[in-house]
Amino acid sequence: MDTVPHILVVDDDREIRDLLARFLERNRLRVTAVRDGREARRAWTTGHYHLVVLDLMLPGETGLDLARWMRSQANVPIVMLTAMGEETDRIIGLELGADDYVPKPFNPRELLARIRAVLRRAGDSAEHRSDPAARTLRFNGWTLEPGRRRLLNPEEAEVVLTGGEYDLLLALVERANRVLTRDMLLDLLRGRQAGPFDRAIDVAVSRLRRKLEDDGRHAQLIKTVRGGGYVLAATVERR
Amino acid sequence: MTLRIGELRIWPRSLAARTAAVLLLGLAIVQAAGLTIHALDRMELLRLAQAQEIAARVMSVYRNVVNVSADQRATVLGDMRHLPGVAIELSDQPPISDLPPTPPGEQRLLRVNMNLTPMPGHLRPRDVQMLGGPFWHRLVVSLRLPEGGWLNLTVKVEPPRPWHSPTFLAAFLLMTATAALLTLWAVRRLTAPVRTLARAAEALGRDVNAPPLPEDGPLEVAIAAVAFNTMAARIRRFVRDRTELLTAIGHDLRTPITRLKLRAEFMEDDEQRRKMLLDLDELESMVAATLAFGRDATSAEPVSALDLVELLRTILDEAADAWPDTAEKLRYEGPAHLTVRARTLALKRALANLVANAVNYGGSALARLTLPGDGPAHGTSHGTLTIEIEDDGPGIPPQELDRAFEPFHRGEPSRNRETGGVGLGLPIARNILRAHGGDVTLANRPAGGLRATVTLPV
Repeated sequence: MDTVPHILVVDDDREIRDLLARFLERNRLRVTAVRDGREARRAWTTGHYHLVVLDLMLPGETGLDLARWMRSQANVPIVMLTAMGEETDRIIGLELGADDYVPKPFNPRELLARIRAVLRRAGDSAEHRSDPAARTLRFNGWTLEPGRRRLLNPEEAEVVLTGGEYDLLLALVERANRVLTRDMLLDLLRGRQAGPFDRAIDVAVSRLRRKLEDDGRHAQLIKTVRGGGYVLAATVERR
Repeated sequence: MTLRIGELRIWPRSLAARTAAVLLLGLAIVQAAGLTIHALDRMELLRLAQAQEIAARVMSVYRNVVNVSADQRATVLGDMRHLPGVAIELSDQPPISDLPPTPPGEQRLLRVNMNLTPMPGHLRPRDVQMLGGPFWHRLVVSLRLPEGGWLNLTVKVEPPRPWHSPTFLAAFLLMTATAALLTLWAVRRLTAPVRTLARAAEALGRDVNAPPLPEDGPLEVAIAAVAFNTMAARIRRFVRDRTELLTAIGHDLRTPITRLKLRAEFMEDDEQRRKMLLDLDELESMVAATLAFGRDATSAEPVSALDLVELLRTILDEAADAWPDTAEKLRYEGPAHLTVRARTLALKRALANLVANAVNYGGSALARLTLPGDGPAHGTSHGTLTIEIEDDGPGIPPQELDRAFEPFHRGEPSRNRETGGVGLGLPIARNILRAHGGDVTLANRPAGGLRATVTLPV
């Protein structure tokens, strides 16, 4: 694997494409930017990509079709840019099998954080990351549905999470019984929250514990590791 | 009928009652006139019959008396002493009585009838005098015999009573009651479409997509229904056009906002970049509100089970992150868990808008969840849960409370601080909650501050 991840950006707006490429390159990523499905297929044959940033609304072939085609070619992670204001925020996300989706207009730093989180997850557990949409993660009666970015309690009712809480929980669940350092978790929240990041981790963890009914002082599920880190102590069942 | 009008001291307010009152009054007048004509007719008949009968009796007595010789007459009179209702005497002169002379009309009738009695001319009475009549309950008829002397008959007569009939009252009451019932039924039937129209107008006011009126029934009603439906369709089209325009603008703004956010990342001045990103976030939230308003609240998002309490807590957490100064003043009161079925994202947006309003205008937010059955204070009805979101701000002037839900309405400038927004938060919240079968109302708290009361069916 290259030391610098190579990102394929597919967006039909030239300005956004160029600015995004410059922004990502400045943040130590290698970028190839193309405007539509035809160019994307051509670029696909000439390069190897670690991640695709794909605009859902493309002229000609839709982002959805392109994502399916790419998935059939290789197990490449996809971050989808959806249009805010349609129900795409969540509903299309479940069908696509995208690893993550960011509504437009996006915050560049948040997009960067999502890209990094997805890259880390892809490198970390490639064997499990077959089809995110079809996958559910069950632990202690709780169900995490990455395709729909939601958490269900043991009664099958959704427990609403903020974006940061969701990313945090997904990271903990995917690496269950392994210690996650504060630095790793900080990366997940970067770009999402204002204010001091290290406080944000503690706040997000305490809120997650409350939502998972995990008593803060005698936490059984999300345990605090002395020396700075957290671990999810549970058996995770993947389906 | 007259009774009914007597009861209605005041002019009734409903169209049905007014129409019924007018119809019943008219019916009463017609009934009364008809009865009077009938009674007068009957009286005339009774008078004729009475005159005939009296004349026949008088002439029969006279014939008996005149046919015998003078010395036998006393015996004949004695025989007839016991005739009912008639007193007979022979006298040298017409009777002296306090009774006034019989009215000319009656006299003429009696005389005609008496003359009609067949009798040889030389036996006919030489003179006839009459006193009294039905009005005085007695009639005195004096007939002068051909050979002199008077035969005086005092006949008991009753004044004719046109109303005196056992079936009359029953028939009258039956007729009246039937007419009144038919009138009321017909009036109710005829005015029913007006009520339907009023209900439809009310429904349209609440929901522009209310179902159309049935275009049937009487011609005028059908025409009104068609006109109403056409008007409703125009209003719908107007609302849709405006929403589509807004949505189109919102869509078009997304690309430039994205570009500007990317460009801001290349600014050297950190402070200016931070401020520019804040401006862009505000712009984005305005576009998001516009798009959310344009989106049909009943749109594609599926209904699923969710923990309402965790939703409220998450909203408060996010508000605390967005406005760290007020984090201490954001509280939740209520049960620890409650599962409801709803559209998660839509409901979150609705409640988040209300919390954001409380924080922006009131500087605090208390979210209180009340389950059906344990809310005595605020009219919690069966099967409805209540979420109250209270702040400690200045509240809203009472005359503004209703307008607060109008799209693009933004309170008084003094209330706006630096909160941005396009005046769509409350309308969006209300659209979403109504699409869930609930509602939201605003009221000023007696202790100060504003209270938004959300109701949701469980």
